[in-house]
Amino acid sequence: MPATVKEPTPEAERDRCRTGIEGLDNLLNGGIPRGNTVLVTGSVGTGKTSLSVEFLIHGARSGENSLFISVTESSEKLLANLIHYDFFEPRLLKEGRLIFMDLPLIYNRLGLEKPEFDLQDTFILTKVIADLVREMKTKRLVIDSVTSVCYRLKTQENIRQFILDLGSSLSSLGCTTILVSEISPGAERYSLFGVEEAIADGIIIMSNLERRGDLLRTLQIVKMRGTTHSRAKYVLDLTPVGVLLVPLLKGGSITAG
Amino acid sequence: MELPESSAVSLRMKTEHYFDVVRSILDVFAPKKELDAIYVTCTIPSASIINALEVLEIPVDHIWFVDCISQIMMSAAQKHEHAIYVESPTMLENIMLKVEYLIRHSPGDRKDVVILDSINSLSIHNNMKILNEFLHILVNTLRSKNAYTLIFSMEEYETDEVRQSVNLVCDQTISVKGD
Repeated sequence: MPATVKEPTPEAERDRCRTGIEGLDNLLNGGIPRGNTVLVTGSVGTGKTSLSVEFLIHGARSGENSLFISVTESSEKLLANLIHYDFFEPRLLKEGRLIFMDLPLIYNRLGLEKPEFDLQDTFILTKVIADLVREMKTKRLVIDSVTSVCYRLKTQENIRQFILDLGSSLSSLGCTTILVSEISPGAERYSLFGVEEAIADGIIIMSNLERRGDLLRTLQIVKMRGTTHSRAKYVLDLTPVGVLLVPLLKGGSITAG
Repeated sequence: MELPESSAVSLRMKTEHYFDVVRSILDVFAPKKELDAIYVTCTIPSASIINALEVLEIPVDHIWFVDCISQIMMSAAQKHEHAIYVESPTMLENIMLKVEYLIRHSPGDRKDVVILDSINSLSIHNNMKILNEFLHILVNTLRSKNAYTLIFSMEEYETDEVRQSVNLVCDQTISVKGD
């Protein structure tokens, strides 16, 4: 008999980026391995943006520069929702610890206001984001949503190149990244183009689950390189104290929605 | 009534003693132990309990309600600032989430007592398999947070299955008698 029992770890222990969401950090055995690029994927109304924003606020509160790049929704609208969080402090914005940026403005400045990007444009976009992260000493980044960016990249090769380059640049800068991905309800893969999920270091899927007419918001970690993690499904609630998680009860009949 | 710290207790009672039990918990037990009370009501709407407490001049400053019945009744009752609502008593995970929220949200270092009113009402809306799972997770979670759990059970409506389920998770059963 061994003197102590040690959990098997697939890789050497890596420094963690605590999300600050207690339930999620527990599921991840302490947080996201620092430098990972994580795909947070799900259909509309599943809480992807709320979870991502909370990840940034907790980071900013703990002294890590945090950047939200918004692709679809205006920053103003997002900022208006922050005040509902008990843990949000306006000083984080004033001090520049927490920054919201609209990607369409960046497109505008780069002259990338076109519906389709070629490989050269993709390189420019990746470089600009990496430069921003370097200059701002960003340790946490959210792109919401990467799906909207991918729409312009068109080919699977471009998407693959974009995510690979972005992931490796940000990882080398010690930046932990969440890429928000939109999928249709009931989709059988984790991303719209099928490329993002293969390249990301981690996948957290958020969905709506229908059980006897009740709609529950759920979260499940499908993959996370660099740590052991839960693979069970959890039910979540979006509250003023942040995302709360409890195990999904398995008794009774369940149909996925 | 002396209970060990963080214990889970089943309170068996006849319907006629219901309000006396509610009053003794909310007006005697919780204030004496300086506990915040989180009252999960699946039997009658929180508004009715709050009205009864007002009549009895029991302050609700340290009492919060997780109301699992008002919304399913489609009632247009005014929402109380000490009540949060779960759409249906079948959304057991959401009950746990609301309890967790109230525990985190309550100010200060006061400990909590969570009152589940009642196991019989929950058993009307849920099968025993999922109800057992719910009780097991809820009680153990509350224990880890040093909170008391009190589970109401109405003798008249108690089945063997419900009694066994409650006995499995509770440290003790108190049968409330006439006087």
